[in-house]
Amino acid sequence: MASQIFAYAIIGLGSGALISGVGLGVVLSYRGSGVINLSTGAIAMLAGYCYWALATGEFGVTFATGWAIVLTLLFSAVVGIVFELGVVRPLRRQPPLAKLVATLGILLSAQAAIVLAFGDTAHPQPSILPGGNVTLFGVTVPDYNLWMAAIILAAALVVVAVYRWTRFGIGTRAAAENEAYATLFGLSPNRYSMGNTVAMALVMGLVGMLAASIAEVDPTTLVLLIVPGLAAAMFGRLTAFTTTYVAGIVIGMAESVLLYLSTQSWFPTSNGGPLPGVDELLVLLVLVVATFFRAGKIPSRGDIVESRLPRAPRPVAPLRTAAVFVPIAALAMWVLPFGFREGLITSCIFAVSLLSLVVVTGYLGQLSLVQLGLAGVAGFLVSHLSTNFGIGFPWAAIVGVAAAAMLGVGFGFPALRVRGVQLAVVTLAATVALETFWFSNGSWGAGVIGASVPAPSLFGFDFGTNASFHGLGGGEPSPLFGWFCLIVLVVVALLVANLRRSRLGQQMLAVRANERAAAATGVNVRNVKLTGFGIAAGIAGVSGVLLSYSYGSITASSFSALIAVALVAFVYITGITSVPGGVFGGLIYSGGIFAFALLDWFGLQGNWLNLIVGFLVVLSLISRPEGGATFLFYGKHPSLWARSPKKAQATRPLSGTAHGGTAHGADERNQHGLAPVEAEVTS
Amino acid sequence: MTDPVLSLEKVSAGYGQSDVIRDIDLEVRAGEIVTLLGPNGAGKTTTLRVISGHVKQSRGTVRLKGRDLAHLSPTQRARAGIAHVPEGRGIFFGLTVAEHLRLGYRGETIDPRVVYTYFPALRELRDRPAGLLSGGEQQMLAVARNLARNPELLLLDELSLGLAPLLVEGLLPVVRDYSRERNCGVLLVEQHVPLALEVADHCYVLSHGDVVLHEPAERLRDDPELLVESYLGGSAAKETLAT
Repeated sequence: MASQIFAYAIIGLGSGALISGVGLGVVLSYRGSGVINLSTGAIAMLAGYCYWALATGEFGVTFATGWAIVLTLLFSAVVGIVFELGVVRPLRRQPPLAKLVATLGILLSAQAAIVLAFGDTAHPQPSILPGGNVTLFGVTVPDYNLWMAAIILAAALVVVAVYRWTRFGIGTRAAAENEAYATLFGLSPNRYSMGNTVAMALVMGLVGMLAASIAEVDPTTLVLLIVPGLAAAMFGRLTAFTTTYVAGIVIGMAESVLLYLSTQSWFPTSNGGPLPGVDELLVLLVLVVATFFRAGKIPSRGDIVESRLPRAPRPVAPLRTAAVFVPIAALAMWVLPFGFREGLITSCIFAVSLLSLVVVTGYLGQLSLVQLGLAGVAGFLVSHLSTNFGIGFPWAAIVGVAAAAMLGVGFGFPALRVRGVQLAVVTLAATVALETFWFSNGSWGAGVIGASVPAPSLFGFDFGTNASFHGLGGGEPSPLFGWFCLIVLVVVALLVANLRRSRLGQQMLAVRANERAAAATGVNVRNVKLTGFGIAAGIAGVSGVLLSYSYGSITASSFSALIAVALVAFVYITGITSVPGGVFGGLIYSGGIFAFALLDWFGLQGNWLNLIVGFLVVLSLISRPEGGATFLFYGKHPSLWARSPKKAQATRPLSGTAHGGTAHGADERNQHGLAPVEAEVTS
Repeated sequence: MTDPVLSLEKVSAGYGQSDVIRDIDLEVRAGEIVTLLGPNGAGKTTTLRVISGHVKQSRGTVRLKGRDLAHLSPTQRARAGIAHVPEGRGIFFGLTVAEHLRLGYRGETIDPRVVYTYFPALRELRDRPAGLLSGGEQQMLAVARNLARNPELLLLDELSLGLAPLLVEGLLPVVRDYSRERNCGVLLVEQHVPLALEVADHCYVLSHGDVVLHEPAERLRDDPELLVESYLGGSAAKETLAT
């Protein structure tokens, strides 16, 4: 048994190397430009596809392995340059959260582009490493695992050497510490940022190609490697390359050993198979430990930050707005043909989901990627209470929403200490863990086939999707269910609008702007945060319940991390800080009515929408951070904007507080002074 | 006569809508130390930031050796020969002393010998991170690193901030010597007036964003009343004297 564990640990070196590589990419991005780059895995995937296409002759020309490697690295470098010029540089004066959201947009676009180009099935690709075996201490394992670990180690050591001994590395460290001081010495932070981004892309190119030895290319595996990769990078405090490398290798080995242990008879089982999702849980645990005990020492960057989250305008007459739009939507439910009706219903449901993001991110300023997971919790509870215990509507729904709200408050607790970008990272891991450990679990979740959800009915009156009442368009889903969803959406929307006008809403905005200042003026930051998380989670739970009723069954894939990412992207372009932003986000969400119209009229798949939206996120963060719908509704009321976002160019003074600051000092940094710094043109 | 190293002509600048400094005229010649005095909030630091490009002027021209700097970024101005030691020292706590001397833009040559000649104490501290140096040593490093760039113009902002006066008394004469030997213009902002006047050739006094006094430093050394008057504002000073 010991030798088996050893063998599996060695085999884990391979995937550990990939995790380390992604972690290195995250650290390079952070040190070079202060971006917490969630798209490193996606860039590795692009490189993997590039290598696959070149080596297998997908484009008609088959290259020898050596040439394919060189061309792939070249391609990676170009991706890095484009990423730098298109995302990092335009956003360098933006707050860390905006940068992170932009990388989510890139992740979404990259994934959608690959699915559109090559489909979502996996393709086998030729390995770049020799396929021999090696015998270590009496155990024979494939030697590519060792090669992978060695190659990534070499990359890490090169980076370490560059950072320690070269002028470029010293300059990068200086610029990361204080950009303004660096410019006083005539250094060019842009150049360092570019160099590091390209280095990141090259490492990702390596990861993408090395992955060929242990996996086929597909559009998700490498993308989601960002989660363990981030865990490793967090262990290295987003700065230490060697620690990150070791942490990544250890995570890979631990996952591999877990795989072996899961074949043992004592391992917990579920529906006859070993318990799924244990390694995702492990990664979540590592991340939580890392963020709690290591993140406090992540050095904040002395960047010059111009603006923060866009303003959250005060709603004007929400009832009047509702009175205009609701009859239109209600009529549409009845009149529209079934495809559009279904799209509208999906839009309503996702609008509810996005409103939960408006509360937790727009009002409270915490980017939570677990809202969709919470929706899933409510949905799965509804399914189980109904099918296993005979508890139907409304009690199952109420229990589901309450459970989501309580779990949301639970996630609020870490948010008392962990904020901003780190919270986004932890909640992303939580979403992945929920999906694999709970939702895919055969006995508690849906397994692979999905769990059924009986239609909702009240006092014998059925208003599920298959209710007997049909609209003019005919077919399912019934307009009754549509109206039910619409009513729920209206109630939630009015609640969220009212929240903005209430005292609690003001306090949330105060917490969002500056936690310390809010505490100093007597706001109970802890309670406000927990309440905000609870409200948002409850709303997410409502959307999960509606979602489960609308499909009649529920699957884990409806609540995947990639969908969570897409939701954030959609609501950011329509407006993360206002009710219209959330509702319009639902309307254009892929699967919603706009996406269906695109498909029906132009034959454009949902992935086209994702591709465009991913890029639009970056564009919108640069030019209209408040979002399209928010602008549409509130842009003409300048009195609602205490100061116009264009004028909010407060920046840090030269004598800033960058030194010795901690990561969560980042949000407050902007407070200290008003020295606009002229944009730097050259490098 | 040759162009001054630095000349400001009718420069106004500020933050947002309001100007902090108005119509400033100022000149610094090669090899001379000009000190900029004035009470808190007079606009001294802002003036330095305008020169190094970190605050944009709303009107007026800034020239370095006759060359208009209007379209140069802070990085380009630094490369053109402006060395700015900001309040708070402007060094990097994570880098060692030796690494500070290796730091530089592409093609720049830094001469560590300059540093160790003018500040021999730093030689022993070579491998210590700047964050672990004492306040005085940090200030020494900040000045030394900027001298090593061989600048045309050195801007020094409040060297005495948070330091014992004794330390500054040691620093300023070094700057004085360097300026003479290398023909470098120095613009010195200082709260500690006697120290500044001791090394300076010329003195400007700013008050509420206006230059209220411009005299050779010598004259102010001899006649401190003049300085008091300019600090308190003309009429207020007369009233004080009258009572």
